[in-house]
Amino acid sequence: MRKTASPRFGSRFLIGLTFLFLYAPIFILIIFSFNAGASSSVWKGFSLHWYGELFHNRLIMQSIYTTLLVSLLATVVATFAGTFAAIGFHAMRRRPRHILTTVNNIPMMNADIVTGVSLCLLFVAFFGGWHSFAVWVNSWQSLVVLPERLTMGFGTLLIAHICFNIPYVILSVGPKLRQMDRNLIDAAQDLGCTWMQAFWKVVLPEIKPGIVSGALTAFTMSVDDFIISYFTAGTSSSTLAMTIYGMTKKRVSPQINAISTLLFVTVLLLLALVNFRENRAQSRSDKLRRGEAVPPKRQLPPVLKRVGAGALAVALIAALVVTGASSRSDRVVNVCSWGEYIDEDLITEFEETTGIRVNYQTAESNEALYSLINMGGADFDVIVPSDYMIGRLIEEDMLAELNYDNIPNFDLIDDRFKNLSYDPENKYTVPYTWSTLGIIYNRDMVDGEITSWSAMFDPQYAGQVLMINNSRDALAAGLFYLGYDVNTTDKGQIREAFELLKNAKDQGVYQAFVMDQVFQKMEGGNAAIAMYYAGDYLTMVDNSDQDLAFVIPEEGSNWFVDAMCVLKTSQHKEEAEAWINFITSTSSSLANMDYIWYGSPNVEAMEEYPAYYEEEYEEELDQETLDIILTPPEILDKCQMYVNQPQDTLRYYSELWTELGI
Amino acid sequence: MSKELIRLRDICMAFDDEQVLDHLNLYINDKEFLTLLGPSGCGKTTTLRIIGGFTTPTSGDVLFDGVRINDVPPYQRQINTVFQKYALFPHLNVFENVAFGLRMQKRPDPNNPKKTIKIPEEEIRERVLEMLETVSLKGFEHRRPDQLSGGQQQRVAIARALVNRPKVLLLDEPLGALDLKLRKDMQIELKRIQQQVGITFIYVTHDQEEALSMSDTIVIMDKGTIQQIGTPEDIYNEPKNAFVADFIGESNIIDGTMPRDNVVKMYGREFPCLDGGFAPNEPVDVVIRPEDIDIVPVEQGQLTGTVTSVTFKGMQYDIIVDFKGFKWLIQTTDHSPKDARIGIKLDPDSIHVMKKSRYSGMFGDYSSFSEEYDELDDASLGLDEEESGDEE
Amino acid sequence: MKNKLSRFAVPYVVWMAIFVVAPILIMVVYAFSSAEGGFTLENFSQMGTYTAVFTRSFKLAIVATLICLLIGYPTACFMSREGPSFQRMGMVLIMLPMWMNFLLRTYSWMTILENHGLLNQLLEKIGILALYNHITGANLEFFPMMNTPGAVVLGMVYNYLPFMILPIYSVIIKLDHSLIEAARDLGADSVSVFRKVILPLSFPGVLSGITMVFVPSVSTFAISQMLGGGTELLLGDLIERQFLGGSYDPQLGAAISLVMMVIVVVCMVIMNRFGEGEEQAVML
Repeated sequence: MRKTASPRFGSRFLIGLTFLFLYAPIFILIIFSFNAGASSSVWKGFSLHWYGELFHNRLIMQSIYTTLLVSLLATVVATFAGTFAAIGFHAMRRRPRHILTTVNNIPMMNADIVTGVSLCLLFVAFFGGWHSFAVWVNSWQSLVVLPERLTMGFGTLLIAHICFNIPYVILSVGPKLRQMDRNLIDAAQDLGCTWMQAFWKVVLPEIKPGIVSGALTAFTMSVDDFIISYFTAGTSSSTLAMTIYGMTKKRVSPQINAISTLLFVTVLLLLALVNFRENRAQSRSDKLRRGEAVPPKRQLPPVLKRVGAGALAVALIAALVVTGASSRSDRVVNVCSWGEYIDEDLITEFEETTGIRVNYQTAESNEALYSLINMGGADFDVIVPSDYMIGRLIEEDMLAELNYDNIPNFDLIDDRFKNLSYDPENKYTVPYTWSTLGIIYNRDMVDGEITSWSAMFDPQYAGQVLMINNSRDALAAGLFYLGYDVNTTDKGQIREAFELLKNAKDQGVYQAFVMDQVFQKMEGGNAAIAMYYAGDYLTMVDNSDQDLAFVIPEEGSNWFVDAMCVLKTSQHKEEAEAWINFITSTSSSLANMDYIWYGSPNVEAMEEYPAYYEEEYEEELDQETLDIILTPPEILDKCQMYVNQPQDTLRYYSELWTELGI
Repeated sequence: MSKELIRLRDICMAFDDEQVLDHLNLYINDKEFLTLLGPSGCGKTTTLRIIGGFTTPTSGDVLFDGVRINDVPPYQRQINTVFQKYALFPHLNVFENVAFGLRMQKRPDPNNPKKTIKIPEEEIRERVLEMLETVSLKGFEHRRPDQLSGGQQQRVAIARALVNRPKVLLLDEPLGALDLKLRKDMQIELKRIQQQVGITFIYVTHDQEEALSMSDTIVIMDKGTIQQIGTPEDIYNEPKNAFVADFIGESNIIDGTMPRDNVVKMYGREFPCLDGGFAPNEPVDVVIRPEDIDIVPVEQGQLTGTVTSVTFKGMQYDIIVDFKGFKWLIQTTDHSPKDARIGIKLDPDSIHVMKKSRYSGMFGDYSSFSEEYDELDDASLGLDEEESGDEE
Repeated sequence: MKNKLSRFAVPYVVWMAIFVVAPILIMVVYAFSSAEGGFTLENFSQMGTYTAVFTRSFKLAIVATLICLLIGYPTACFMSREGPSFQRMGMVLIMLPMWMNFLLRTYSWMTILENHGLLNQLLEKIGILALYNHITGANLEFFPMMNTPGAVVLGMVYNYLPFMILPIYSVIIKLDHSLIEAARDLGADSVSVFRKVILPLSFPGVLSGITMVFVPSVSTFAISQMLGGGTELLLGDLIERQFLGGSYDPQLGAAISLVMMVIVVVCMVIMNRFGEGEEQAVML
């Protein structure tokens, strides 16, 4: 068939189509990485701007570093372990070999998510056991203090990667072993090798192609993996994939396009190099076969070559470790907040003034944050949950009491934000921002003004509405609309609100359930109505040429406080308090308020903001904007704060939320 | 011949409860060409591997020059092996393959007797090239094994083993993968090499012709036991039992009795023979080689039978003759047509009488002649045209 | 010698016990536990509620797998007929996208499929949108493609297509050419050669391709969230939600994972019965 059929137009055309399908999206990514504008669909001129930003994006750079390090280490370990295991398997009798091979295939055949989840559970179980053990050890001796609390991080990530890599190595080394003439080992021994020497001199060179392709496969799998990393990395070491996933949940920056381009070009070059070398080797051996004279290969002596390769690998890993370590200082604070919720210059400023390194991460929603902490995946020090979640965390004894002596700026907080219902004695929290929940809509896509929560359930806007992706806020929309208490524990009422949402969803009202993806969708005019927070509305207006509007519906809404608190598990409490104090200062509050458009609870900042704005932008701040940032009391009166619910109700929320997705 | 070099004493070997070697006793002389011959599964390769040190016998002793070497690993034995399918290292070229063993060797440092040194590169080069010349492979040093023909690979394997100057060379069916003509050439070549280097060759094969033409001594094995040891002539002319008789050459094996010495009784008729020492009327196996039978007119025949098939073989005709239901093979230069009635005459020295053994009744009837012939042909199958073309 | 070498496997056997077998056992324990730690079957009795999610996930995964097969088989087949340098190049090109992170690949479709994204812009420019509105009398400003099940299937097909092409290709390329000649010699025309010889012999490749596409498709969660907008949960989303997402309930999550795993394993066993004796997975 191969020899007889002439290349036919039809088959080439189909192959071409397949390649077009595979490559068109990638080329689009590449083209738009050079776009001057921020959009990935509207061309605004050529620029290398995003590449510059990419190299200054600490989060991305850090995650590229993590990805490379974990992939390299995992590949090296897995290649060693896998090769030895494959040889061991090969030497076994049939039955045990068969059983072990089957077990070995489990991670490969299992869905990634099952592997990820089960490893996650293993780590959690181990950490639990370790905790009891460490507490016990620390209680009767004081020579060595064991860390009592472990969290997932680079170590667990590495283990997970090694875990799914080894089977690929075994799978590609195994056949090479089976193909190998069994007598080769005997022959080597016969000629004077001990069996160890036989292994190094004969077996290893024989199976080398298998080892190399196994290592390559392992590395590819590692770099490409997202799901298993997601469940096992915790939050402190995110791989590139996790960072990208995090970004797609927020505003996607064209920096992603720039990464894609760089990755693509790197891979292309590597493959071209490999191919080139292979072709040369091929033509050499062809010539040899024909008995033609070939110039002797110019080669380093094998020893030098091996030493060289080893040195290169060691240097590479060492460089990675060193660059990683050098950027680490002893004093660290791990902060977890929400997306687009800080003026990032403040982080740099804090690091420069205090010498404490800030590990800044974001979570998607209060509920997701709660899951993260509970799964043991997070080693956060400072978190910024909302009021009702704070109540829950206090109730479940997960927060540490703060030492307010370390936070003198707490005095600057307006009294109306102190001693609120979630923390009545104000022992755990320092407010970060406050704002309201409302409806953001695009005037061009909606008839007339929206004034009611009914817009969130209105079939006339089918496919145009973005529902908020967390249970508390989403069900609140229903409860407000129905006129029920937003803090009700009456399951009937909650159910009614749920039915409202469920019906709307079944009628196709909702285009998507989103959190911070809302920015890009609303800014790009890709949806008409969204339910989100007041401050974020102003960010959207700032970034968009769409005619957007914000309304707090007439039925009333939620006002909320996001407050900084420190987890009980924190190992860096002092640094955490330094951070809280820094953020609470008037200058930080002003910068933050200007950047994220959320109201600050700092009295001075609230007073000074209009003047600050005028100075920054040389224009007056209009009252409407100010009213959205700092909601005036008469509107705030219509709004209610969430309070923490009893366990039973929480569970009901959770159940309904899952059911809504079905 | 000369002095004893290797002795196997009461060797037993079992894999997974399966008895592969059963109380094997054998000695091998220095500079001898000894062949282990037998059908596949007879234990000949296992015996070889025990001598080579690749397997340890379940019980029994292996003596080398009078010293027990059961626990000496292969790399410390003065024995080298040419493996079935050669086991050349695919990642090394011809030169490096041959040099492999030399590079592994250490010898005492002349300047410091406590230390050992490697063989100098100079000497390795010299010895490898010399050895390649011996096996007529000069100029092939830089080829890789996969760029050589089967015969060439065979020579590399021999060179690789011999360059280490072993006292014994083990050869495990080394010619099995070659085509018929090449095999004949290599047989002569091997014998020449053995005489040239003057060491012991222990050769494993299932090909009786190979064994007969090359060996000083043949050991015939079956089912893990030795059936007969002897020179090729002894074994051919005086097979000890029906198995040996059948395995070496063609044999008609007929049930008979010995009424007295020098007389054997078959088909109710007495024939003079040269054997004796049996109990009166003891049942025996009678072996008659097909080429030892004279065809005579019916009336002069000691026995008469009907020709059932005739095959022209070039040198002779193979004729199958039915004598009262038992089919004989007769090789003769005279043509007899199918269905002809013929008589045969047996000289006393063409009749070999053997004691009954467990192989009695299993061989010697040529009723299924054609099948057996096919089987024999199998050995010469597996021709590789490309390879044989390469050879010249 | 042999037995000495088999000791090489000991460390890995221990490793497997800890990191392959134990996690699954722990998952089973979780699945049968309540939040307070006692034994319960409640997690499974709840499973009925999620039937719709199971059906949807399996439906989308099956559709994606079929589409992959429809595109992948002819591509692999035609590839194998090309010249050696074309083939080598082609294989590199098919594998290359796998080196880019699959989230990047998925993300690229987000920008294409948006309501005002590139594809809609293109369709508008070349007049297909207007044509469609004219014919159907609809008044669309764009084709809604994002956040639909179709987009999710597209994402799966795009991401996992190479996993279908490669195993099929590597089986077809190894077919003994003389088999095809023999079939022709015995009077088979091109169609029969394909139907009676190539197709049955490439079956192991197809099987392993199906497995390699179906398993990740049925359990994905990133693709569905990125291209599906989270309006229609898939199994992966459901599980993720219980562990790190909006509704914290690892016990339920473990139970769902377990059920999914069992169903997938059963499917694969049935499939392998199908391809009796040729169970070895064909690798890249």
